[in-house]
Amino acid sequence: MNAAMNGLALRSLRHRPRAAIATFLAVLLGTLLIGSFATLAESSSGAPAPDDGTLVILGAVVGGWGALIVLFSVASTVGITTTQRAAEIGLLRTIGATPRQARRLIARETGAIALAAAVIGALAASVGGRLLFDLIRSGGLVSDGTRYDAGPASVAGAAVLVLAAAAIAAAVAARRATRGPAGVLVRESGGEQGRMRWWRVAIALLLVGYGIAMAVVTVAVTAHADDPYAAMSTSGSSSILVGLGLAVLAPVLLRWGAGPVRLLAGTSATAHLASYNTVRRAHLLAGVLAPVVVLTSAAVGTLVLVDIDARTLPAGTPDSDTIALLNNVVVGMLSLFAAIMVVNAFVATVAHRREELLRLRLLGATSRQVRGSVVAEAGIVAAIGVVLGTLAAATTVVPFAVARDEGMVPDGGLWLVPAVAAAVVVLTLGSARGAVRSAAPEPV
Amino acid sequence: MSETALEVQDLTRTYGAGDNAVTALAGVDLAFRRGSFTAVMGPSGSGKSTFLSCAAGLDRPTGGRVLVGGTDVTDWDEERRTRLRRERIGFVFQGFHLLPYLSAAQNVALPSRLAGKRPDRERVRHLLDRVGLADRAHHLPGSLSGGQQQRVAIARALLSAPDVLLADEPTGALDSTTARQVLGLLRGSVVDLGQTVVMVTHDPVAASYAGEVVFLVDGRVAGRMAHPTADAVAGQMAHLDELVSA
Repeated sequence: MNAAMNGLALRSLRHRPRAAIATFLAVLLGTLLIGSFATLAESSSGAPAPDDGTLVILGAVVGGWGALIVLFSVASTVGITTTQRAAEIGLLRTIGATPRQARRLIARETGAIALAAAVIGALAASVGGRLLFDLIRSGGLVSDGTRYDAGPASVAGAAVLVLAAAAIAAAVAARRATRGPAGVLVRESGGEQGRMRWWRVAIALLLVGYGIAMAVVTVAVTAHADDPYAAMSTSGSSSILVGLGLAVLAPVLLRWGAGPVRLLAGTSATAHLASYNTVRRAHLLAGVLAPVVVLTSAAVGTLVLVDIDARTLPAGTPDSDTIALLNNVVVGMLSLFAAIMVVNAFVATVAHRREELLRLRLLGATSRQVRGSVVAEAGIVAAIGVVLGTLAAATTVVPFAVARDEGMVPDGGLWLVPAVAAAVVVLTLGSARGAVRSAAPEPV
Repeated sequence: MSETALEVQDLTRTYGAGDNAVTALAGVDLAFRRGSFTAVMGPSGSGKSTFLSCAAGLDRPTGGRVLVGGTDVTDWDEERRTRLRRERIGFVFQGFHLLPYLSAAQNVALPSRLAGKRPDRERVRHLLDRVGLADRAHHLPGSLSGGQQQRVAIARALLSAPDVLLADEPTGALDSTTARQVLGLLRGSVVDLGQTVVMVTHDPVAASYAGEVVFLVDGRVAGRMAHPTADAVAGQMAHLDELVSA
């Protein structure tokens, strides 16, 4: 029985390379990112003061924010790919697989991909950690005497953490897919899906609340500290925390946000289809909105933060250069990650809707109209995501600007907001176009 | 206006090439008079679905002509065939094919939206009323039964008053009571509105609602039956091989 399930798991993997690649990439990059920063924390144990403290802060704090985004994206990628398989799971169950067996199949498959990806990610992280350490030392943030000193423990820990996130996400999605009676005919995901689960709202409130609390602490306490970086360490993560919190609430926010956007969208067939799909099936497109919000909030928040820091500290301080560099490295990696998520999520949602898009063609929609409606949906998602992400970024930018005596609005660097927004919109529309081009069916 | 709503002349369709070639249609000649209700029947693999796809411009025939409302549409490009489907052909599918995020009324109005026209609300309401769903206009497909969804699909197919309404196993996913309602509506559209309906089906009871049955076997027209009854059709279906050899 076990061997049979394993064989089935492997064979079914070969049939869905795209879903497997999405999970593989998310776990690989996630392990690489978290693992690299974890090696800094591990190296701190042998380092002399004050380098040990610096390394811990870099590894644990900077790596910590990153870990949140990574775990979130691994979980949502695994969730999306599992949900897509409802039809296949229904079929397995009608021919006699128990819900337990179906869940085990999903767990084995996800486990096999994630394990392979985590091992490679961990190996890459032991190289990446060394590079990161060299970058920090050459920036003068730690003294030349301090050495890279991390064994396999930190990268292995990172791999285990990412694997656990993937496993929990697969278990939750598999449970959802096997709940209810067996059946080949999957109910097409239709209109409004009930309300959000309470625990989801609770997690969102916790994240947003924590982010806002850190912003308040920045203005009230750390803004007056002697160390100019105290304010950065409290306010820096707010944008990411609030962004993640809003991302968790994405289905509800999309439904609310799409109303006003619809008024601007016009009455063409494509706008009509796009706006109703966005409102009534917000739970599908929420998978795209979530990374758009996180990407915008993390990028805007951190880039403007670095810009304020560079402006308000006397130039040429070695610390400031390195911290700016490091922050930019983090933004770069997280943006790359979130960008992959956006592309992934679009490929997944469009592939999921193949049959429905073909139906539109049968009813007389031109392929332009079908593509147009998907790109218009992306436009709505991008608009809402950029607004929410910018709001989330404000929880980092405003307190830090206040702490550095620039007032509520920073004195410069505001061009970064439209620049990031434009990049996010281009990315979102581009991935929608790419996804619909490769997946939209032609009747003939 | 041509008296013939839909006509196919020497229609052939071959899939694949060489030794693997499969002939789905081997020279079919059929003409459907305006205001007629025809059932196309035949065993699996007889070419029923291919015939429907070619008639609708979804599939390109290998040979022969397709005329819709007297116009030869065989060589039209994809763009024109799309407009043809939107404006001159109505579709009813076995699987309903409603858009899950549009209400019943919005689904009915969709073809006109796709044509870039403002939907005629009065006509949409009238058609929903005709299929007995005036009070469900704002429901989403997910909250309608299978029979109700198919009735919405019929209202949608009638919106443009098409040259021909093509129905592909329209009762295949319905129980016998709701199936009768759906068939009654199709026949009603022929009798009351002068609509032309061509329906592909397996079911002798469904076929008995039509004015004429055409039997396809191995990609050819093997026989016809006027004023069909369910028993007569079932009897004929059981002896299709004799029609072929005859």
